[in-house]
Amino acid sequence: MAKSPPVPPASSPVPVDEKRASFEREALVHLDVLYRVALRLTGNPADADDLVQETMLKAYRAWDQYEKGTNAKAWMLTILRHAFINEYRRRTRHPETVDVDAIEPYAVFPDVQDEDPQGAFFDKIVDDQVLRAIDQLPVAFRETLVLSDVEGMSYQEIAGILGVPVGTVKSRLFRARQLLQGKLYDYAVEMGYIKGSPA
Amino acid sequence: MNCRECVEHLYEFLDREVTPELEQEIRAHLEDCPPCEEQYDFEELFLKFLRARCKTQGAPTELKKRVLRELFGE
Repeated sequence: MAKSPPVPPASSPVPVDEKRASFEREALVHLDVLYRVALRLTGNPADADDLVQETMLKAYRAWDQYEKGTNAKAWMLTILRHAFINEYRRRTRHPETVDVDAIEPYAVFPDVQDEDPQGAFFDKIVDDQVLRAIDQLPVAFRETLVLSDVEGMSYQEIAGILGVPVGTVKSRLFRARQLLQGKLYDYAVEMGYIKGSPA
Repeated sequence: MNCRECVEHLYEFLDREVTPELEQEIRAHLEDCPPCEEQYDFEELFLKFLRARCKTQGAPTELKKRVLRELFGE
């Protein structure tokens, strides 16, 4: 004889199956994004794996607090970033002392304007070299640049994730891009992809 | 709008993060100023290049399995 289905205990507001289904639908689909960002923040695959794993666990535990159907990607990236910063502070006795907001932007374009205004030298630079150059940026620049230029997030979303004003996102992005451009340009000159202007 | 102002806002313009008024001003300046237009093309190409170079990587299959195992015991 068929029994009526068990009633879930009053203490669990969302049945486990439902929680899992919505987590898979809204959160797990962002695994690739989380991994790419984690990889750029940590700089190596093993730490990136751990960071993503920790983020997923934290997100699943806090899933009831996430307002479904809003911006799960941004919500999870915020968790990931907090986890990274905590771990980073714990590991690094002397965290970055550079005041990134005081770094002066340096434009590459005037240097290449005559020789290669179309930036053909960029095409000769391989993926690995670009990633290495990104990894050398100060963390505050790197996270802003990756969220914008790799993941295509808006200034508003990035400001929310990093907990800074939109104006800060704007100026950090500006300087991060110029700094990266400068590194890639120096590399291209070194490799002979472009003559470059005499120092 | 002068060249310095135009260059200052180029990235925001490329990111579609400027107000409609500022967008108009930048467009007008770019039409009249070949050097700024050249820089605009250069920066646009740089951003496309960046995206193309970084977007390829996804999470390793092993990590996906590990996450599922940890979350749902699979």
